[in-house]
Amino acid sequence: MSEQEVTAVILAAGEGRRLAPLTNRRPKPMLPVANKPLLEYVVDAVVAAGIDRLVLVVGYQRDRIQTHFGDGDEWNVEIQYAVQKKQLGTAHALEQAKSVIDGPLLVLNGDRIIDPTVVEEVHAEFTETADPAVMAIRRSSDPSSYGVVTLEDRAITDIVEKPVGDSPSQLINAGVYAFESEAIFDAIDTLSPGPDGEYQLTDALTVLLADGSITPVRYDGRWLDVSHLWDLLTVTGRILDSSETADDTGVSTGPEQPTTPIINENAYLSETATVGANAVIGRGTVVGENAHIGPNVTIERSVIFPDARIGAGAVLRDCIVGANARVGDNATVPSGDSTVVIDGTAYHPTGFGGVFGDNASVGGGVTVEPGTLIGDTATVAPGVTVGGLIADFETVRRG
Amino acid sequence: MCGIIGYLGDDEALSVVTAGLANLEYRGYDSAGVALGDTELTVYKRAGEVDALTEILPESTSHTRGIGHTRWSTHGPPTDANAHPHTDEAGRVAVVHNGIIENYEQLRERLSDRTFTSETDTEVIPHLIAAELDAGKSPKEAVKAAAAQLEGSYAIVVTIAGVDSLFAIREGSPLIIGHAENGTFLGSDVTAFLDHTQQVTYLADGDLAVIDRDGLSVYRNGELVDVAVEELDWEADAAEKGGYDHYMRKEIHEQPRALRQTISGRLDTDRGRVALDIDLPTEYLESLEEIQLVACGTSYYASVYAADLFESLADVRTTVEVASEYEFSTNRDPWRTLVVAVTQSGETADTLSAIRTAARAGARTLAVTNTLGSTITREVDDTVFIRAGPEIGVAATKTFASQVATLALLVVLVGRKRGALSSERATSVLDSLRGLPGAVQQILDREDTVLETAETYADSDAFFFIGRRLGRAVSLEGALKLKEISYDHAEGFPAGELKHGPLALVTENTPVLAVLTDGARPEATLPNVREVQARDAPVIGAVSDTEASALDVTFPVPDLGVMEPLVTNVYWQLFAYHVANLKGRSIDKPRNLAKSVTVE
Repeated sequence: MSEQEVTAVILAAGEGRRLAPLTNRRPKPMLPVANKPLLEYVVDAVVAAGIDRLVLVVGYQRDRIQTHFGDGDEWNVEIQYAVQKKQLGTAHALEQAKSVIDGPLLVLNGDRIIDPTVVEEVHAEFTETADPAVMAIRRSSDPSSYGVVTLEDRAITDIVEKPVGDSPSQLINAGVYAFESEAIFDAIDTLSPGPDGEYQLTDALTVLLADGSITPVRYDGRWLDVSHLWDLLTVTGRILDSSETADDTGVSTGPEQPTTPIINENAYLSETATVGANAVIGRGTVVGENAHIGPNVTIERSVIFPDARIGAGAVLRDCIVGANARVGDNATVPSGDSTVVIDGTAYHPTGFGGVFGDNASVGGGVTVEPGTLIGDTATVAPGVTVGGLIADFETVRRG
Repeated sequence: MCGIIGYLGDDEALSVVTAGLANLEYRGYDSAGVALGDTELTVYKRAGEVDALTEILPESTSHTRGIGHTRWSTHGPPTDANAHPHTDEAGRVAVVHNGIIENYEQLRERLSDRTFTSETDTEVIPHLIAAELDAGKSPKEAVKAAAAQLEGSYAIVVTIAGVDSLFAIREGSPLIIGHAENGTFLGSDVTAFLDHTQQVTYLADGDLAVIDRDGLSVYRNGELVDVAVEELDWEADAAEKGGYDHYMRKEIHEQPRALRQTISGRLDTDRGRVALDIDLPTEYLESLEEIQLVACGTSYYASVYAADLFESLADVRTTVEVASEYEFSTNRDPWRTLVVAVTQSGETADTLSAIRTAARAGARTLAVTNTLGSTITREVDDTVFIRAGPEIGVAATKTFASQVATLALLVVLVGRKRGALSSERATSVLDSLRGLPGAVQQILDREDTVLETAETYADSDAFFFIGRRLGRAVSLEGALKLKEISYDHAEGFPAGELKHGPLALVTENTPVLAVLTDGARPEATLPNVREVQARDAPVIGAVSDTEASALDVTFPVPDLGVMEPLVTNVYWQLFAYHVANLKGRSIDKPRNLAKSVTVE
């Protein structure tokens, strides 16, 4: 439709409170999956689709994002930042980018892993049709958790957010859009805040739909989201299986290593991580920058954030160890089925060992029951068995 | 101290040269200029920053040959006339110069029949070249003959009307050639042309470089020589601002990443060992009597920190000397003295001069620097790189942290080889080093509270930084950072020295910033804190034991042994930044200062 160069706007201002304590110090888009933030997968997809002008809408803990992406030269693109000072919904977030956008735009979520094809196809469809808006849709087995899209003659007739009762269709909004800038920003202007005081992009879509048509583009490729802490393990596993991280896998085991550790081919060690003698790093495990795995440690299907340290002989299964956390010698996280209560809702993840918050310190010989959430900078004394929720900065002593 | 750039190639020279100048601006920014070459030369120059120059430049020109300069005044104040490039009377020869011509007064007398228009030492050079051209010499020979008359340190780039070449000579000041698809570049450092190429050639002192449409030719002692082309591994992107208001704040936030690079692959915590790729034989280290650290500015304070560690952990007598004061005393055995030069840029003239003095005396020399291919790496027996990545802000931040971490690795290596440091103690030091990136991140996560503190105290009369042992080094560095960028009166003292004089300056309007962490003898410093509190001075303390004491502001420092004072320094950096920012200072380019000081 337009000859003008398109700008990709990636919404990355959100906090991700359900993912606390791991989002206490970083925004959700900066959660690492296979040693790369979620947001970087989105940036990579946009760049691979040939877009070279990006605007990241940032807000909560934005220094983390800006320190990582800089001006975008590492991706050979131009990255600008728009700041959303208060988190007032996705439409409000997009509006913050208005002043730096001149021409058509693509809009994506900064915390959902997608393939470049969806970006290419939405962009191509937008360029070919005269419609002011194009959006990707996909089939879902659980449509009522998303924006459900109704089609008639391949045209969108209705979009309903999280419908109660029977879902009108199996198709959902995949969260990748192309807009004529005037059309979307005019639509946002007409919005009034929802019951939670926020302005949502999905409401702006309803306005656009009333004014004209939104062209759908079908996408059934990769679409990975981290809604809950334990999803990080599943999504990491999926990424490692697709082995697209292989390009810069490096194993550094420190100077003069006497006994080589055993590292599964479906695990990822960052270049600056170190692993002690006889350690076993099993499938689905990621070890971040400058993290240290002591001798004789066994780790399976776990994510170790940067700067964390795992003491000798520890056994960790299905768990997430936050940045700079310390896990004492011979600490054990056996994993298993559990009940985890987050914001008053009980969940029953299977195969979830637990989470160690950033800077948490767990003493030697501690046993962590399945589903335990240890808070940011919390301390657990040696030898204790812990379970449930341990608050940020709390200290758990013996007994 | 200045930045120079030259370009000859297919593209329009004006935009290439001005973009290069913007990247070089950290080397000097009190005046700037360009000369564009064709059958005639066109010169634009102006006092002020590169932006001021841009105002008088045309939108575009057809020239494909040009030179540029950004100046930090040494001879003559920053005026339009004193800005480079300088030309001869006829405007036939234009020269940009970095360095100092020591015999310029004699040369000016010798050229008294010619009219000078500036007060600079540089202006003699175009006049000398013009005189040689008038005498019938070829352009290349004229440049060579003119340079032969110069004494001092210099890097010059010359363009001559009607000659489709650039000429350059280097003697003691840095000059690097860049080879790109679209032409050939000259620069004081690689940031001048990093956007275009990473293929570079380093010139040696005395080399005459001629750049024409076929590329580079280098003449050494009159002979055409083959020179190596090297591939840089720095990314241009690493030197850009990415959403931050100032490079300084960006670089403060880059510290965890920089520190991970610094220690990567170098420490074995399980066995208390260090791997640094340097040649320091055990027999030599066992016989070592003294380590001398020489450095300037922030690097000096990093050395003060390290000296304490060398003495306490490696059991070797260690002195720290400001490089410009350095002499090799005759009562020292050069064979048993290791001289370690610490310089971010590797081009600091005072430090180069000191290390040459040490080498002449016969001492073994070692450089600790951030810059691959820098002059110092070619002057010393061995180099350890701090791997902090490019630092653009004039106020050094991440390089201080990486310097201290690198020197601490050296301490452990020396201590272990000398048998002075047990593997157990070494492991604990290395554990602390490994914990640095995570601990620094925790301080960065508390930036809001530092900002609040800066808001409360920004308008104070003066700021005093106190600490003992490792805390003393950090106090000196903290005060330097603040005075550099906020222009406030700030001083650092060993805490015990307060009562011997400086206490007279303490009032309710002079906040005292105290290092009260491990490695800084907090129990001994607390009484000094009480002394200043008794004079109603507000106290901002960085403490490892937060239950410690009644302070006006308490900044917690995570448990990290001898690295706790270094972690504290991040609070002081953020405090200096926010005080300066609240006052609207030119943080990345503070007045009168330049990033790497290549004059003595």
